[in-house]
Amino acid sequence: MAYIRASSCAAAFALLFVPIIWDSFTAYQLGRYLLYGMVAQGIALCWGRTGFLPLGQALFFGLGAYVTGAVLRMDPGWGLILLAFLGSILLPSVLAGLVGILVFSRQIGSGPYFSLITLALSMLGLQLANSEEWLTGGFNGMTGIPGLPGVDSYEHLFFVIVATLLATTLLLEFLSRTPFGHLLEAIRENEERLQYFGFRTGVLKAAAFGISGGLAGLAGALYAPHQGIVTPQAVGFLLSAELVVWTAVGGRFGLIGPVAGAVAIGFLSSGLRDAFQYWELVVGIAFIVAVLRFPGGIGGFCAGIASRIVRGSPAVRRRRDHRVRKRQDPGHPDLVYRNVNASSGPVEILRDLSFEINRAGTHCIIGPNGAGKTSLINVLTGKLAVSSGSVSWKGRVIGATEPYRAARHGIGRKSQVPSIFATMGVGQNLAVALWANRLDLRDMLSSAPHLWTSGMFEELLSRFPFLHDESASAGVLSVGQRQMLDFAMTMLAEPELVLLDEPCAGLSSAETEKMIDAIAEISARSGSTFLIIEHDMRLVERLSDNVLVVHQGGLLASGTMAEIRENPNVRKVYSGAGNA
Amino acid sequence: MNRRDMLKSSIATAVIAAASGPFGKSANAADGLKVGILIPLSGPGGLFGPSCQNCASLAIDEVNARGGILGRAIKPVFADVGGPPADATQAALKLWKGDGVEAFIGMHDSAVRGALTNLFKGQVPYVYTPVYEGGECSAGTYVLGETPAQQLAPTIPWMSERKGASDWYLIGNDYNWPRDTNATAKAYIADAGGRVAGEEYLPFTADNFDSSLAKIRETGANAVLITLVGGASVGFNRSFASFGLSEDVPRLGTLIEENTLAGIGSENSKNLFSSAGYFADIDTPAANAFKEKYAATFGSDAAALNALGQSCYDGILLLAALAEAAGSTSPVDMDAVANGVSYEGPRGSARMHDRHVSKDIYLAEADGTAFRVVESFPDVAAGDNCG
Amino acid sequence: MNFVYSVTVLALTVAGLAIVFGLLRVMNMAHGEFVALGAYSALIIQQSDLPFVLAVPLAIALCATLGWLIEWTIIRHLYSRPFDTLLATWGLAIVMREGIEAAFGREFKSVDQVLPGTVDLHVFDYPAYRLVLIAVTVLMLGILLGWFKRSNAGARIKAMVENPGLAEAAGIDTEGLARKTFVVGVSITGVAGVLLAPLVRVEPYMGFDYLLSSFFVLVVGGLGTLEGVLIGSAVIGGTDAAISTIFDKTAGYLGVLLLSILFLWLRPHGIYSRQ
Repeated sequence: MAYIRASSCAAAFALLFVPIIWDSFTAYQLGRYLLYGMVAQGIALCWGRTGFLPLGQALFFGLGAYVTGAVLRMDPGWGLILLAFLGSILLPSVLAGLVGILVFSRQIGSGPYFSLITLALSMLGLQLANSEEWLTGGFNGMTGIPGLPGVDSYEHLFFVIVATLLATTLLLEFLSRTPFGHLLEAIRENEERLQYFGFRTGVLKAAAFGISGGLAGLAGALYAPHQGIVTPQAVGFLLSAELVVWTAVGGRFGLIGPVAGAVAIGFLSSGLRDAFQYWELVVGIAFIVAVLRFPGGIGGFCAGIASRIVRGSPAVRRRRDHRVRKRQDPGHPDLVYRNVNASSGPVEILRDLSFEINRAGTHCIIGPNGAGKTSLINVLTGKLAVSSGSVSWKGRVIGATEPYRAARHGIGRKSQVPSIFATMGVGQNLAVALWANRLDLRDMLSSAPHLWTSGMFEELLSRFPFLHDESASAGVLSVGQRQMLDFAMTMLAEPELVLLDEPCAGLSSAETEKMIDAIAEISARSGSTFLIIEHDMRLVERLSDNVLVVHQGGLLASGTMAEIRENPNVRKVYSGAGNA
Repeated sequence: MNRRDMLKSSIATAVIAAASGPFGKSANAADGLKVGILIPLSGPGGLFGPSCQNCASLAIDEVNARGGILGRAIKPVFADVGGPPADATQAALKLWKGDGVEAFIGMHDSAVRGALTNLFKGQVPYVYTPVYEGGECSAGTYVLGETPAQQLAPTIPWMSERKGASDWYLIGNDYNWPRDTNATAKAYIADAGGRVAGEEYLPFTADNFDSSLAKIRETGANAVLITLVGGASVGFNRSFASFGLSEDVPRLGTLIEENTLAGIGSENSKNLFSSAGYFADIDTPAANAFKEKYAATFGSDAAALNALGQSCYDGILLLAALAEAAGSTSPVDMDAVANGVSYEGPRGSARMHDRHVSKDIYLAEADGTAFRVVESFPDVAAGDNCG
Repeated sequence: MNFVYSVTVLALTVAGLAIVFGLLRVMNMAHGEFVALGAYSALIIQQSDLPFVLAVPLAIALCATLGWLIEWTIIRHLYSRPFDTLLATWGLAIVMREGIEAAFGREFKSVDQVLPGTVDLHVFDYPAYRLVLIAVTVLMLGILLGWFKRSNAGARIKAMVENPGLAEAAGIDTEGLARKTFVVGVSITGVAGVLLAPLVRVEPYMGFDYLLSSFFVLVVGGLGTLEGVLIGSAVIGGTDAAISTIFDKTAGYLGVLLLSILFLWLRPHGIYSRQ
C-alpha cells in the first residue's frame, strides 16, 4: 500500500519533467489523457474495488466541464472560479450519490441493471446538452472558454493537472486503507454477508459512486479551461464507454493502472490515427486481446510481475491494542413468532408458525429436510418476506425488512455454506466483523479501527489458532477453517441473538468436536441467545437447553431433548419419514 | 502573461528544439507552404473524407502548376478531424506548432470549428469550407460554405412559384444548424406568401419517422424543408417515399448531396430537390473541366463528387486568392484586404464580403440517384453574418 | 398501424439479442453489427441480380459462420464474466464495423424495395413491403416460440445458464449448447438485417441504432422469454410513438430513456419476468 503512495509520488514527479524532456505539446496532450485517467480512477473505485460498473461516467465529467466552463466565460475572479470548481465537484457527486442511493437501496448485488441505468442517464444528458442550446450552446458547444487567469492552458495547466491527479490519487489511496475502503472490497466479495453485519451496503456503494462522480466532475472542471470548448460529446455514452475501456485496459483494481490505460490508448490512437487508415481496427483487436488475456489490465500485469520479483511481501502484523466494547442494547431476550406464514413463489414454506423464546441459552431447531428450518431464520433476517403473521425481537416487529436491519437489532447470522470475503485476508475478514455495529462515520475514515480488539476477539484467536495468520487469503482456507472463520466472524459482532445454520456442515469429526466445544463455551460466556439449526444430533444433545421441532412449516413440538424424544408426534413424523 | 507569446515562444521552440521528436522537422519557409487540411476520415463524417482529399489535391496541383502561392509550392498536410473537438484541436495544434503549417483548410462540423477558432485566435489563416448555419466572424477565419440565407433566399420563392409550395413542414435534426436554418427559412417562406405548417426536430438517433410522416399528412403540408443530416436524412426520405408521399409533396433539402441521394435510392427520390453551391451536374465549362480532370486523375471508382468534398477544392483557391491579394500568409494582412477578394472556380465566381463569399447557388432535382440542376441563381449574398 | 410496425421492427431486431443476452447473459455490443451484416447480405444479393429471398440464407450463413468463430475464440472464455463480454464485444463491434467498411466502403448504399408501392387499407395507404415484413416477423417469432416450447431447448438453455455444473452433470453438453444458442441468436439478428435493409439506411455505422434500443426493450420486457420481447417492444415502441405524436421525436426519445430508467430502477426484472 505504501508502495502505491511512493510510486504515485514518483510518477507525478517524473510527469513534471515531460514538458522539459519532450515538449509542451506532448505535455498538453498528456494533460487531457491524465484528466480522462482521473475519471477512470473513479470507475476503478466503483468497478474494481466495489464490484459495480458505472457505464455513464461521462455524464459527471461533462457536467463538471459545463459548470466550470459557464463560470469561466464570465471572466470571474479566483474566488468565483474556486467556487465553480467546488460546484463542479459537488454537483456531480451529489447527483451520483443520489442515483446510487435510489438504485442501490432497492437492489442488492451488482447486476447489469445499475450499469444500464447510468448508461441511459448519460444518453439523457447527451440529448439535453444537444437540444438545450440556450444553456449549453447545443451541438456546437459552449465555446470561447478562457483559461484560468494566469495559468496558460497550453503551458502551465499541465502542472495543475498533475498536482490535482496526485492529490486525488493520494486521497483514493488513503480511502482504500480506511475501514471504508475495506468495506467496499467486502461488498465486491460478498455483499449479503456485509448486510448481516449491519452495514447498509447500498449507502456505502452510493458513497463510492458519489466519490467517483465528484472525481469525474473535477476532471471535467479542468477540462473546460484546457480545451476552451465543451461539447455534448463530453457527456455522451461514447466517451463513457471509452472511459470504461481505458479503465479495463489499464487495470481496474489499482489507482495508477486506469491512468496508464487512458494515457496509453490516448497516445496509441492519436499516433495511429494519422498513420493507418484502419487504426480503429488495431484498437479493437488490442482491446479484445486485453480482455481475454489480461483481465487485470496493464496494472494487473505489472503487479503480477512485481510480485514475482519480490516474492511474498512481508506480512505486516498490526499490534491490536485498542479494546472496544460492544454497545449495550437493553432488554431481555424475547423472540416471538406469531402465526407466521411465508411462501416462495407458489410454495408455502411456513404455515402458521408460532413459538416464543424468552430466555438466553441454546435453542436447537430440528426437523426433516424441507421442513422450513432455514426459512424460519430467513424471515427473521429479512431475506424472506412474511406474508401474514408477525415476527418480533424484543418487542420490535422485524419481518420483511432489509437484512442489515436485523443485524442492527442485535441479530447475527451464520449461513449453512460458509460465507466469507474470499479474496481478502483473514485479518480483514475478522476486522470487518469486529467493526459490525461499532463503526461510526469518523471511524470509517480513520485508521484507528485497524487496531481494534475485544475480549471476544482474543478468545476466538486462542481457540482457532489458524486465525493468527492475518495476511493469509481467506480463499485458500479449508472448508472446515472457513466454517470456523465464518463462526468467528459471526461472534465478533457479539449479537444478542445468534442464528447458526448447520455450523458443523462439512466438518470432519474432529473439527465437529472442536466446533461444539467452541459454541458451548462462547455461548456460556456471551450470555446471548443461540438459535441453532442442526442435523448432527451430537451437537443437539450436548448443547441444547431447548429443542424446537419444525415440520411442514409449522411447529410440531418444543421442550428439552428428553421431552422431545418422548413426544409421540415427533416419533410419528420421524418414523414415518424414515430418517432421523 | 500573454497566451499568444507563450504559444509562439514556448510550444514552438520546444518543438523545434526537439527536432528529432515525434513531430518531424520544423517549418522552413523556403521549402514551400505547408497547408493543413482538416477533414473527417473517421466517424460518421468520414464519408466525405476521400472526396475532400481528392479535390484538395487537385486544387493544389493546379495552384502549384501556376507557381504556387506567392511563389511557394503548397505542401498539403492532411489530418483526421472526424472525432470530437478535443481530438481535432490536438491534431490541428500538432500541424500548426509541430509541422509548421501556415494556413488551414477545414471541412468539418461547427463544434470543431468553434474549438479551432478558439485555438487559432486569428494567428493563422483558416478557411472553413462546408455548408453551415452562418454567423462566424472570428479574425483570420474565412468562410466559403453556403449559409442558410444563400441556400434559401432564391430557392423558396422558386419552389413556391414552380411547385406550388405554400405550406411548409420544417424537419431537421435537433441541433444548431437545422434550428438556425429554419429560423432563416421562416422569413423567406413568409415573404413568398407561404406559411409554416409544422416544425419538428429529431434526435440524431431517430430511426423511425412514422410519427413525423403522420404529422406531415395531418398538417396538410405541400412542401417539406429537410435539414436532417446523413443517416437520418436517408432514413426519413426512404420512409417518406414508401408511404407514397413523394408523389404530391416536393421536398427541398439543404444538405442532401450525392452520397445521401445514393443512400435514399432511386425509387425514393421523386420530387426531391436540393440547394447547394455545387453539384456534379453543373454544366459550365469550368465545372465540366473540373469533373473531367477529377475522373482522369482518380479513375471511375473514386469517391463521388459532392458539395462538401468539392468545397475543399474551392478552399484552396480561396486561400490562394487571399494570400496573393495580401501579399503574405499573415492573417492580419489577409483580414486587411479580404473584402472584395474574388476567384473563379467550378462553382462559378465568388467574392468575399464579411468573411463570407457571395456566390452562385444551384437548385437541383433528383433524377434517380443523380442530381440534375434545374436552376442556377448567380451571385447570391451570404446574408448578415457579422452583425 | 404505425404502432404495429414499430413494435414489429423492435421485436425483430431484439429477438436475436433476447437469445444472446436474455438467455446466455452475453451483453453483446456487436449486436447492431450483425444487423448490418444482414443488410449488406441483402445488398450483395441485389447487386448480383439474384432473387431477394436468397439474401436470407446468405445472411444466416455469414452470421452463423462468424458467430461460431467469435463464440469459439472469444465468448466461450467469458460466460462467467458478464461485464467482460460487454468489453470484448465492444472491441468486436469496432472490428466488424471496420471490416464492413473495408469490404463495402463507407458510403450509403441503397437496397431497393422488393415490393414498391402502397396498399389501400381503406383508411390510408400503407407501404406493401411493410405488410410483408410484419407478416414474416410474426411468422418467424411464432416458429421460434413454438420451437422453444416444443423442444426442450429453452429449458436446457435455462438450466445451463442457471447452473452450468448441474446441467453438465445432467448430461447436457453445455459448451456445445451455448455455442449453438449464440449462433442461432446472431443468425436471427442477421435475418432481421436482411428484412430491414430495404427500409433503412445501409452504411457501416448503421448497427449502433439498434444496439441501445434493443437493450432497453429487453430490460423493460424482462429477460429470458419471447413474450417479454413482445411486451417490451410494445411498451417502448408505444411510448415513443405516443409521446412523439403529442410532442416531438426528441420528447419521445427522452420519454423512452426515462421509462427505461424507471423500469431498470423499480422493476429490474421487467414486466414479464419468470419470477
